[in-house]
Amino acid sequence: MGEVGKILVIDDEAVIRDGCRRILGKEGCEVITAANGEEGVKAIQKDPQEIEVVLLDLKMPGMSGMDVLEHALALEPSLPIVVITGYATVDSAVEAMKKGAYDFIPKPFTPDQLRLVVNRALEKRKLEREAERLKAQAARSLKDVATEKSKVRTIINCMADGVLVTDREGKVVLTNPAAGRMLGIRADTCLEKPLYEAVGDEKLIEAVQGVLKPENPEVATISQELQIGDSLIRAHTAAVKSEDGEVLGTVTVLEDMTYLLELDRMKGEFIAMVSHELRSPVSAIEQNISLILEGLAGEVTEKQRHLLSRAKERSRGLLELIGDLLEMSKIDAGMALQRKEPLQVEEIVEKVMELMEAEAQAKGVALQFKITSPLPPVLGDRDNLEGVFTNLVGNAIKYTPSGGEVKVEMSPEGDYVKTVVSDTGIGIPKEDLPRIFDKFYRVKSEKTRGIVGTGLGLSIVKSIVEAHLGSISVESEEGKGTSFCVLLPRQT
Amino acid sequence: MAKKILIVDDDPDLVEAVSTILESKGYEVAAAYGGVEGLEKAKTESPDLIVLDVMMPDKDGYVVCKELKADPKYRSIPILLLTAVVSKLSVTRYTQQMGMETEADDYVDKPVEPEELVRRIETLLSK
Repeated sequence: MGEVGKILVIDDEAVIRDGCRRILGKEGCEVITAANGEEGVKAIQKDPQEIEVVLLDLKMPGMSGMDVLEHALALEPSLPIVVITGYATVDSAVEAMKKGAYDFIPKPFTPDQLRLVVNRALEKRKLEREAERLKAQAARSLKDVATEKSKVRTIINCMADGVLVTDREGKVVLTNPAAGRMLGIRADTCLEKPLYEAVGDEKLIEAVQGVLKPENPEVATISQELQIGDSLIRAHTAAVKSEDGEVLGTVTVLEDMTYLLELDRMKGEFIAMVSHELRSPVSAIEQNISLILEGLAGEVTEKQRHLLSRAKERSRGLLELIGDLLEMSKIDAGMALQRKEPLQVEEIVEKVMELMEAEAQAKGVALQFKITSPLPPVLGDRDNLEGVFTNLVGNAIKYTPSGGEVKVEMSPEGDYVKTVVSDTGIGIPKEDLPRIFDKFYRVKSEKTRGIVGTGLGLSIVKSIVEAHLGSISVESEEGKGTSFCVLLPRQT
Repeated sequence: MAKKILIVDDDPDLVEAVSTILESKGYEVAAAYGGVEGLEKAKTESPDLIVLDVMMPDKDGYVVCKELKADPKYRSIPILLLTAVVSKLSVTRYTQQMGMETEADDYVDKPVEPEELVRRIETLLSK
């Protein structure tokens, strides 16, 4: 028999019970016994799965073998029950078989007969168990597949982005409601239709054809913007490939950009609103203060003059902050680099120097400008670069005491144009250096107290330089001066 | 006879401030509180110079300026545009754009130093 199986022998004759135990025990079976029907049913009830085969005497005092048979099969329908018929009548064996017994063995039996019949029953039990296991497994995986399919379907249908799948012939095989909405198509009418019948947009059809039969096999994805009605749709089309690289179809993911345009417009309106509503009152405040300071509203005492001067400086700072914030929001919105053109940075710097000359003179700071050798052109936004150098030179003048010097030196450096703006000003403390490009960060000290600033300037400068794929660094020694180095990549 | 200057700005406080500055210098002042009114007064008041705000809700300064400069009868009135651009980054950009996009004779940032305003006006009037 080989395998260990628990065999239950129900017989009122101790001789049979012991005989079975001995014979089957030798085969490696664990044999449990019951001396009557009630005991037998109890043993099965305990754990019907534990018992492999039941040997059941039909003729017993008390509960009859037939009753035990019924009980046992009710508990475990696939339990093989071999009935032992003492008087060897075909009738009772046939009745037991009809009631679901698996086999019968007439008394008296030889050990071989017993082994044979029990073996067969064990085999049957084993096969049935295996069949059941396979059935359960199949049911489970079928359920898994169904669940997976429905899950994927649900995910695709719930997506805010549109999904459009075609086969290798370009026929539509799957769409989701979002795609239907964006492309103005209905899922049920476009399935199995060629794309050009289902979808009107030519650019999309071209993209699908493009990835199905790529002229350049490197092209796996095509991204483009589609104007469909009033909507702007961004479409990413990619090929679906088998493991060996064969193109099986395409997937297009559609993203509705219309709301972004709307947001952009609202942002523009908001900026315009802020620039007017926030600046105007502060301008009016400052204008009136200037007027009073000028003595146009009557005599001003020294104390009043001092206080009004401070008030004016603060309102000036506020105006600068508003201006910088607006500038910042434009850069954040990616509007800063809309007009890139080849340009000579030195021309921009020169112009900035001219514009700053008056401010420097008024402060008693000398301006110097030097170009060491001819510079290559840079691809950049003129206005923004002007802003960068206006800011750096302006700062240098602002933080350099009277009698000092602000120097701008330009030179080619590898693939970059290098501009160094250095001053002999108050310098930046070491601990503040790493943070000076942070938004709203300002060095606070005795020396900077009288200087009005927003703390946004350098962060804007950095954003602009980085948007040009350049870099900016700073070196400074407190009390001696500061130098900013801007590297802008040459046009390639 | 005192020269007449028309101030066009939707902000009454600013109109008052500029008026005060100009009146202190002996100019005669007329005021308009919007672009449409400004355009009208430019024609009825026949000012010697116009101080014109850019951002106005009904009709902005660029449009007013353009319309006046397009009319041969008023083309010769000098226009000083008042802008509200204070950010250093924008200043240079504005000077460029202003020069290119409008035919204004000069521009000045708002708020303006009284001395600076008077100096600019005197320069324009002496041309």
